[in-house]
Amino acid sequence: MAIDSPGIAHAYLSGRDRGYRERQPARRPAAFWLAVAAACLLALGATAALAEEGAPPPDFQSLDGEIGALKQEVVDLNRDLFLLEEELLFPANTQVAVFVSMDVGTFFGLDSVQILVDGKEVTNYLYTQREVDALLRGGVHRVWLGNLKAGKHELTAFFTGVGPHGRDYRRGATLEIDKGVGAKYVELRISDRVQKLQPEFLVREWD
Amino acid sequence: MAERTAVGRAGRGAAILALLLGLFLAHAPARAGEPATAPDFALKALGGGNYRLSERRGEVVALLFWGSWCGGCRSELERLERLGATYAGAGLSVWGVVLDEEPGDARAVASALGLSMPQLHDARREVARAYRPKRLPTLLLIDRGGAVRYAYGELDSRAERKMLADLRGLLDE
Repeated sequence: MAIDSPGIAHAYLSGRDRGYRERQPARRPAAFWLAVAAACLLALGATAALAEEGAPPPDFQSLDGEIGALKQEVVDLNRDLFLLEEELLFPANTQVAVFVSMDVGTFFGLDSVQILVDGKEVTNYLYTQREVDALLRGGVHRVWLGNLKAGKHELTAFFTGVGPHGRDYRRGATLEIDKGVGAKYVELRISDRVQKLQPEFLVREWD
Repeated sequence: MAERTAVGRAGRGAAILALLLGLFLAHAPARAGEPATAPDFALKALGGGNYRLSERRGEVVALLFWGSWCGGCRSELERLERLGATYAGAGLSVWGVVLDEEPGDARAVASALGLSMPQLHDARREVARAYRPKRLPTLLLIDRGGAVRYAYGELDSRAERKMLADLRGLLDE
């Protein structure tokens, strides 16, 4: 059968003739087998060389080092981006941050901290046991970050938790802050007043 | 030497590309059909203590939204309690989210059913607003990466089998 059109040839080969081809064992050219043998030899040689050296070649070592350095650069870049984002969202001239720290915690088990600025609640943060443990180990938690315009503001913090003798305990502390140019940092510090067997709540500004 | 420099350059280029791709994928917004990240929350439990969802990252969390007025919720609570006991060792945390305004009735239900899993009181309905359960009870399965993967209503035996298969799949991930 004569085949003139390439389309017909394709249809023909992909149909009846293909079935015929699949039944025949595939014949590979000699060059193919030569290439396979060369590849096997090369692989064996490379394995032997690696086994002799017992370590990856210097190129890989330097590549590993460079990847490690790049990872570090990405981490640094991520940190810089985070700082930049914070600077944009909370510019220094309006930024106010409030931190919570805890001293010993014998007389007070912290449950939550509520913060009001000029009588308006800005956050009410519940502390889990894991977070309280972190505070007791010396951690400082940024409980609120916000923007306030320059001038005088009243910041009130309510501490809720379990006081001495396992009783529910709620105490407030107020601080008048004068927001000027530059960021303002306020620390809410919970400590034990051993003489009175009571917790003590301090609100102070960081210089 | 020139070849080595060229190889080094190619390797560095590939590493930069891989890192940029990784960063892009990490920061790319979730596409339609991908599981949504479970909104983080912290709630007070009826039995005392506070619970924050993000602290359970790395575990599978089963959240059941329920209310004391919902009759079908009780069987789901019992089922979840059994699941929690069975799969706790495999990394499953089970939490109930109580939508009652006052905790008294929910506390009575939990006590009557002998539940030991934390019952978190969503008094302000903030968590309900974030998760928008369509009915009560609603069970959500959150995977180890913090994404909501499955949601179920009240389960019949067929739906329960499917839920169990889904849960085991999540625990195996």
